[in-house]
Amino acid sequence: MEEWDEVEVPTNVKDIFVEMKNTAELMVDLAYSAALFKEKEMAEEVLELEEYLDILNYNLTVRAVLAARNLKEAEQITSILQMARAIDDISNAAADLAKMVLEEKIHPLITEVIMESEETIGKVVVSPDSVLVGKTLEELDLSTNTGVWIIAIRRGKRWIFDPDEDTKILPGDILIGRGTRTALDYLKEIARGNIKVMTNE
Amino acid sequence: MNEFEEIRGCLVEMKDLSSLMIDLAFSSVLYNSEDIAEEVYLLEERMDDLTVHVKKLALRAAKHEEDPESLLSIIDLADINERISDAAYAIADIILRDIEPHPIIRKIMEDTEEELGRVTVRPGSVLIGKTLAQLKLPSKIGTRILAIKRGNRYIYNPGRNDTIEEGDVLIAVSSDIDKLKKLAGEEVEENE
Repeated sequence: MEEWDEVEVPTNVKDIFVEMKNTAELMVDLAYSAALFKEKEMAEEVLELEEYLDILNYNLTVRAVLAARNLKEAEQITSILQMARAIDDISNAAADLAKMVLEEKIHPLITEVIMESEETIGKVVVSPDSVLVGKTLEELDLSTNTGVWIIAIRRGKRWIFDPDEDTKILPGDILIGRGTRTALDYLKEIARGNIKVMTNE
Repeated sequence: MNEFEEIRGCLVEMKDLSSLMIDLAFSSVLYNSEDIAEEVYLLEERMDDLTVHVKKLALRAAKHEEDPESLLSIIDLADINERISDAAYAIADIILRDIEPHPIIRKIMEDTEEELGRVTVRPGSVLIGKTLAQLKLPSKIGTRILAIKRGNRYIYNPGRNDTIEEGDVLIAVSSDIDKLKKLAGEEVEENE
């Protein structure tokens, strides 16, 4: 367990806000993945992110309140607080979905719903022959080149949640990605080694 | 079990709607667009209807279920999507109020992982006359079209058979919006 006291929070309002938005979106993706694959560890991660988001929200609120120098600025700052609250609401909804996974209360119909939605979640196994092997996520830029956002990687018994740009893909990795069905199928072909070049130019 | 078929259809629509609404809500803030914010408001009403409908269907289905409690998670999922759409509405509401949003909010939108963009389709663009199914923008350039503005009219969440026309304004979410700008024939600034 990590100690949130040691977690670094960005120091300015803008960076905290960006971090909040990205975190909430990641939480929604992870919560749906956890529901689809019945992955409790992933659901736990969503709940930890929820705590992190609360800390971010608190820091943002304090700084935003401090920034107001007059009535007009104070009014404008309410828009920041309103948005932060909305992002927090989204993260709470994601956390509730994660709790359903932990309590094993996911009806089979929910799995079907996730698979049928426009943007869905997929599991992609990386074969040793794939061009993905040995490259970093930054080099691959999969979101642009395939339309799939990598939200987690399963490596052996270990999870890497929200992998960063320097993460290298290794043979046998299982990528959890969010994208349209076509985009996920395309990435699967690349990961199997059936497509050798990602040319979209 | 007819009810389950219907519930599934509703929930798929709700899940797609809630994520569309979030993207549209952030777009409305980024472009200070009341039109887009109004659409979020309308979608929110649709969402409320769907939520009530799913709950009623689930109760009806529960009558002939051995384990009626298992349907609770279906109602919970409807609620979760409804809450996400409420949050989207709260974001869009910033634009619908009379108070000018804080300038920092726009800057935030420019720095997040998924970029939102507004791209005009110029004469001669390769996009013109093609359907979204033909273009496969999500897998080709990592871009989804949230809405097309044609004249004064918006087409929200365009489908596979919608065709792009010259002069269309595309509202898109992407990891690299410049790629769409290039295809649309817009000039791309190097430092953007």
